[in-house]
Amino acid sequence: MKQKFEYIFIAFSLLLLTSCSSSDDPSVDEERPTININYSGGFPQACEILERGESYTFRAQVTDNLELAAYSVNIHHNFDHHTHDDQGAECELEATKEAVNPMIYIENFDIPDGSTTYEINLSINIPDDVDPGDYHCSFSVTDETGWQSRTSVDIKIQ
Amino acid sequence: MLSAWLFISLCASAGAQQNHTISGFVVDANTSAPVAGVNIIGKDLYAISTENGEFQIKNVPAGKYRFEITHIGYAHEHFTIEVVDRDIEGLIIKLTESITSLDGVELLGKTEKRKTQELSTISVGVDEDFLNKNRENSLMQTLKKIPGVSTITIGSGQSKPVIRGLGFNRVSVVQNGIKHEAQQWGNDHGLEIDQYGIESIQIIKGPASLVYGSDAIAGVVDIQPSKIPLPNSFSGEVNLLGETNNDLIGISTGVQGRKQHWFYRGRVTYRDYADYKVPTDRINYENYIFELHENNLRNTAGEEINASFSLGFVSDNIKSETFFSNVNAKNGFFANAHGLEVRSSNIDYDSSSRDVDLPYHGVNHFKITNNTSYYLNQHTLELDLGYQNNQRDENSEPVPHGYMPTPPNSRERIFTKNTYSLNLKDSFNPNEKHDLVFGINTELQNNNIGGWGFLIPAYDRYSAGIFVYDHYKINGNFHLQGGLRYDVGLLETKSHFDWFQTPVNNPDGSTSRVYLQRARNESLEFSNFSGSIGLSYIQQNTTYKINLGKSFRMPLANELASDGVNYHMYRYERGNIDLNPEQSYQLDVDIDHTTTKFNIGISPFVNFFENFIYLNPTSNYYETLQIYEYTQSKVFRFGGEARAGINLTPELRLDAAAEYVYSRQTSGPKKDFTIPFSPPLSGLLSASYQFKNIAFLQLPQLTADFRITAAQNDIVPPEEVTEGYQSLNLSANTTVQLFGKGKPTQLRIKINNVFNTEYYDHTSFYRLIDVPEPGRNLSISMTVPF
Repeated sequence: MKQKFEYIFIAFSLLLLTSCSSSDDPSVDEERPTININYSGGFPQACEILERGESYTFRAQVTDNLELAAYSVNIHHNFDHHTHDDQGAECELEATKEAVNPMIYIENFDIPDGSTTYEINLSINIPDDVDPGDYHCSFSVTDETGWQSRTSVDIKIQ
Repeated sequence: MLSAWLFISLCASAGAQQNHTISGFVVDANTSAPVAGVNIIGKDLYAISTENGEFQIKNVPAGKYRFEITHIGYAHEHFTIEVVDRDIEGLIIKLTESITSLDGVELLGKTEKRKTQELSTISVGVDEDFLNKNRENSLMQTLKKIPGVSTITIGSGQSKPVIRGLGFNRVSVVQNGIKHEAQQWGNDHGLEIDQYGIESIQIIKGPASLVYGSDAIAGVVDIQPSKIPLPNSFSGEVNLLGETNNDLIGISTGVQGRKQHWFYRGRVTYRDYADYKVPTDRINYENYIFELHENNLRNTAGEEINASFSLGFVSDNIKSETFFSNVNAKNGFFANAHGLEVRSSNIDYDSSSRDVDLPYHGVNHFKITNNTSYYLNQHTLELDLGYQNNQRDENSEPVPHGYMPTPPNSRERIFTKNTYSLNLKDSFNPNEKHDLVFGINTELQNNNIGGWGFLIPAYDRYSAGIFVYDHYKINGNFHLQGGLRYDVGLLETKSHFDWFQTPVNNPDGSTSRVYLQRARNESLEFSNFSGSIGLSYIQQNTTYKINLGKSFRMPLANELASDGVNYHMYRYERGNIDLNPEQSYQLDVDIDHTTTKFNIGISPFVNFFENFIYLNPTSNYYETLQIYEYTQSKVFRFGGEARAGINLTPELRLDAAAEYVYSRQTSGPKKDFTIPFSPPLSGLLSASYQFKNIAFLQLPQLTADFRITAAQNDIVPPEEVTEGYQSLNLSANTTVQLFGKGKPTQLRIKINNVFNTEYYDHTSFYRLIDVPEPGRNLSISMTVPF
């Protein structure tokens, strides 16, 4: 009898152990935000050429299922040909070279509370004295939960 | 099934007395290791072998005797001996391990097994035979087959332990009584321990801070000192290993010997492996596509050179061994995306699959330990001393980032860590009922940093703990254990400034360029009470255990004071100086029913963290990198393992095991999410068939392991959902008499991932960059004793 009880106990505990499903909790946010420059107003497009001394409006569309939080824009040189672009287009790169006074643009911005869609609309001036050549422009966006998405594009400054 | 054999070698010595003595040793037929706790029973005569395998039967009148030799882990044997007019010395009894063990996970001998049963903590003993049969590329991968144990792997050559979903600094690794101290907080760090030459490992699943101190929250991997060799003996072995997936060549050779009181051991291990192959020719990560040359995961080659030596002394009341070891490894990291930063490079990685280019790390771990036991009446005093020097150089291509110009060299991060440990323990048996243990653990860590990438500050850490526990025997089968511990710690972080200037906007609108300060001189004190209480009850073939424990972990320097870009992970990591020691409460239950025919068992647990520390991705940026912040939250977890095995016929054994963990954060910014690196539900089905001797193959055995793992949909940012998978491993092992009458050679052939299945392991480091697990691998290994 005691033996029987033992087996029932073990079987019951096994059942308990295996019955806890690993399904996702519906109350948590499991969706990443999206980021897109592939639309008519998106700027810069792949292989875009920017002139020194000019100002440009950088635009990208970001969305999230719940609430967007912040975005960042980073422009840095690609004189060493480290690839970041995920736009699919192959831009012709100049020969590799040493950086002397490359343009560095590193800025973060908050997105107004409660937004689920937002258009990044940022005026950036390309200084007169920076090194011309191949550059990368990368955008990234986070949502309130802490999910992040990134995209980047090859550009040229001349 | 129990084909044991027995060697009796006699050397008689003259004696004039009426009664005589029979003495000798009991050893394992395969390994020649001494076997303790063997019963040698004759009519009115009885002896039990000691820890060194020695036995002595005194007052034997002349006559012919039959002795039964029994031991739970070995085949039953007997021998007949005639005592005429002299003592019989140097009798050597060789026992063959019985294969009633749980798929090679042999509980350590009878006394050890019984001890384990009497302990209320949940533990599994692993012996050399299991290690040999399941040998993988690194120690923790070898132990992965044990339910509840998994690994975080980094490429093919490195891994670190995970117990029930917790790893990093929540599992203590102890070798020869000294806690292994390296950069175990790091994502791309692996355990620097030679997996050869290890005879036994005790794995504790559950809270074990009481005896092991800080970090033993999820459990302990306790690599125990090897047994002392027999007097006047010399033995050795050569282990050879070859693998096809990463073209690995491994050789390890060890010797040991003993005069009467002095003994020594030595071992040298060399392993060299090429890039490992994955069952895919392209890797797709965040829209970047990497073509792989001949399925090689480029730049994951590596090499490892280890050496160890020990010298010991043993007499009636003292035992002391001093152990020196050095582990040196160089491992490449997947070149296209070390961590998450996607790069192309001018390095021609595919020119050779054996070379190690940037990025790579070099690790050297030097260790000296001394274990001294002194037996004094009812006291056993044990002193463990340790010194460890861990040197780790992370090298990557110098690349400008943000305001940082191109660094001058490839030395990105250099860590030099010195750890000094002193443990003192007194085990006291005042009477039959009590086993009291008093202990003190002290440790000093000194961590220095270098290189152009800053992640954690240099620091000194002092810690000390004092504990007492009692093992109270209520009756023969009913045991109560409990204890208390108090720890204090002091962490002093050192200030650090960037080596380059960053423009900073001043309040007056101007901009100045400054060397940013990343870490300050801080002094942090911690103290903590921990303890545990548990019961064990043995009812014939069934063991019941229940244990409640509180364990803790001191926050680490990176958790408290990180403030920098982690280039490998492409994120900004920030510590929190206000973190408290992590506190974890856990209730464990274990029920095990084992007969000679079958066994079944479950070990469920419930766990609550007052303040689980983890790296939380925030929604904020620092210089366009997402900020990850060390945060504390309450975490609730439960889960456990279930196992069953049956000997269907004397030849065929079937085993099944399942493991599951559920985790939820119940407070904090990621409330209702799981915790990082949660292992999915997983099961392992094994079948093994024991053949009779086939020609020159002695006792060949065939084993199939089929792993079924469910999808992991329960994730926390920045993780991704991982699909479930099934994979099959096959292995065969046998012994062969290669060289005349010597000890037989062991041969093993293993095929991992037989169907070359493309699958992902949710807890692998490379999972984050969408790299599947290694493809089919054929490995052949051989142990030649001499």
